[in-house]
Amino acid sequence: MTPGPSILIIDDDKKMIRVFATSLETAGYRVFDASSGQRALEEVRTRNPDVVLLDLGLPDIDGLALVPQLRVHTTSPIIVVSAREQETDKVKALDAGANDYLTKPFSVPELLARIRVALRSHARVGDTASTVVTFGEYTFELEMRRLLRGDRPVHLSPTEFKLLATLARHADEVVTTNTLLKEAWGSAFRTRNGYVRVYMHSLRRKIEEDPTRPKYLVNESGLGYRLRTSSESINR
Amino acid sequence: MPFTESQGSDAPVIKKVSKAILNNELVRGAGRALGALGLAAAATVFSFGVLGRGDITNVTLLYLFEIAAVSVWMGYRPSLLAAVGSALALDYLFLPPYGTLIIGSGREILTFGGMFATAVFISSLNERLRKQARAARQSERRMEALYGLARELVDAASADELCRRSVSQVELVGSLTACILIRRGDGFARAIRSGGQVAVETEDVGAANWAAAHLEAAGLGTRNCPSAMACYIPLIAARGCIGVLSLRARDQAGGAQPRASSLIVSMARQIAMALERALLSEEKQAAQIEAETERIRSAVLSSVSHDLRAPLAVIASASSTLVEHGDRLLEPARTEMSRIINDEARRLNELLKSLLDVTRLQSGGLKVTHEWESLEEVVGSTLRRVDERNNDRHLRANVPSDLPLLRLDAILIEQVLLNLVDNAFKHALSEQAVEIEVAIRDGEAIVSVIDHGKGVAADEVTKIFDKFYRSEDAAGGGLGLGLTIARGIVEAHGGRIWAEHTSGGGLTVHFTLPLSPAPPRLAGFEAAERASL
Repeated sequence: MTPGPSILIIDDDKKMIRVFATSLETAGYRVFDASSGQRALEEVRTRNPDVVLLDLGLPDIDGLALVPQLRVHTTSPIIVVSAREQETDKVKALDAGANDYLTKPFSVPELLARIRVALRSHARVGDTASTVVTFGEYTFELEMRRLLRGDRPVHLSPTEFKLLATLARHADEVVTTNTLLKEAWGSAFRTRNGYVRVYMHSLRRKIEEDPTRPKYLVNESGLGYRLRTSSESINR
Repeated sequence: MPFTESQGSDAPVIKKVSKAILNNELVRGAGRALGALGLAAAATVFSFGVLGRGDITNVTLLYLFEIAAVSVWMGYRPSLLAAVGSALALDYLFLPPYGTLIIGSGREILTFGGMFATAVFISSLNERLRKQARAARQSERRMEALYGLARELVDAASADELCRRSVSQVELVGSLTACILIRRGDGFARAIRSGGQVAVETEDVGAANWAAAHLEAAGLGTRNCPSAMACYIPLIAARGCIGVLSLRARDQAGGAQPRASSLIVSMARQIAMALERALLSEEKQAAQIEAETERIRSAVLSSVSHDLRAPLAVIASASSTLVEHGDRLLEPARTEMSRIINDEARRLNELLKSLLDVTRLQSGGLKVTHEWESLEEVVGSTLRRVDERNNDRHLRANVPSDLPLLRLDAILIEQVLLNLVDNAFKHALSEQAVEIEVAIRDGEAIVSVIDHGKGVAADEVTKIFDKFYRSEDAAGGGLGLGLTIARGIVEAHGGRIWAEHTSGGGLTVHFTLPLSPAPPRLAGFEAAERASL
């Protein structure tokens, strides 16, 4: 039997670590833990985990500052865990290189779903097949720069294409409004989040059946957007 | 007089100076003395020219009449001056040897002495009458002032109003500006003028405190702290000094200096007694309100702690069952215990979340970020979260596709929608759908959450937004904070929130969000994009 993917849990709450370790091990993952920033960096260097689970509310270290430091050593997905009061930290962590987030308290199925998405998305990077992303009846071919509904092309403006491509590259992960602005317009437009809203509006009208109840282009208030490719329920 | 522009500006100064000169007591005295001597001279000229030296009886009578007239018109001291002048003139011109001040015979001494004594007597009599009249006038004014004060104080609704009326009455006494300082501890709680409350610091607190501590007038015009800007008279009531009455001249130059006259002191006594009654009743009311608030607070606290403890108790017993008897329980029972723990932990989390939200709202810790957001997305996100949580309930949304973007905090507005929808679900039957409607009207966006449930009683329509308010038959056991939080967030966005009955039964909660000027529009973007292609 091949060993499952490895997960590093960075948290200072020993009980929390116990609970997650038990459930994750039951699900077939290998689990390490670290309760300080120093220890976390060491673990990342020596064991190179497949997924990092980082609690932003650590009392002794700034979890936010840890994200770029972790990024120096690993390209593995980082999922940040935050309390409800840390909405802005969440966005900063995502902009700093984290891949996804979970808000405390969350259930184990939610955690497992996020880890699965992160692993899948990470596996896609560098894979040429990943230039094609499918969701529902749509096929989005990034190399060919076209979106097909069944076998009929859907017309996208250049900006709409860039937005959808950014979301598709991080399929099922949350992409912050800042990242979308940077990718589609360039970093000079970082503060113009209204642009993203306007284009999402038109994009949703081209893709979604019911734009007020989107199935694919899902927004996360205060954070950004997620392109949902699977029907796997991702609760917050 | 043709004044030029520059001279004109001097005119008020000249007026003021001449007014000051006229007002001067010394100048007025000199004027009267001159008048008295003038009348004496006129009497002499008339006697000498018309009556002649022989008619000494009529000359004496004329002099007496002149002195009496001076006494009536000009007062005591000028009349004495007139008496001396007239006696000297009589002696010099009409009593032999003529042309000297020497009096020849005993008869003539009698004439001279008699006239002088009679003159002084008439003057004194007149002076006494004048004093009595003045006293009578003063006592009448005093009665009037005190009566007026009593009439004003009798139906004052509050201590503040009582002070305002007192101040107005005191100001009627002279050209004064009065103020009442209400004492609290070693300082003053409020300062009230005729126009209403002013800052305590507008008064000379040091002098006022001295007056209050020593139960003696202090400040301007007294021996104590005479350099103060006003005169301070303590308001002494049964339980001691309860405040200070301050008096100052209405206009700085020329006005009469305020002083603690007996009338003012009497008024102060009357004000003190009325004010004490008013303050006592105010204190009593405050104590009652505080007791009531305390009662509500403890009722709320006990209900909140009960609500928080209930799920905790369930978790504790279910988990202890698993710990103690887990191995003896059958699989379905074990699963049920675990599910109960899970459900109750979620409920506890929801309760704590709303408690935390309301605390943040009230402590001003709520930060609202205003970004361009699409209400369609906010509603969409709400729909998704509701669908995930209660997939057996029906929530419909009707959002126009051409809504402009609004500047708002998407996380908070989503919270408002979730709270309103949760509330609607609690009061509607499970098969009844809840609707969200968005419309643009009169420069604002109106969002309505409509349910067709039982609705609330007519008097509850406003009460439901109160903190910890729960309708009698509320199911679902929230803390009664959801609508309070919604209101706080909407108001932080500059909007309004209100509830009304849904036609055909149920409750509709509307809230508004102001439209923001110049929202980004798609049309413009597309044109720009095409142009750049």
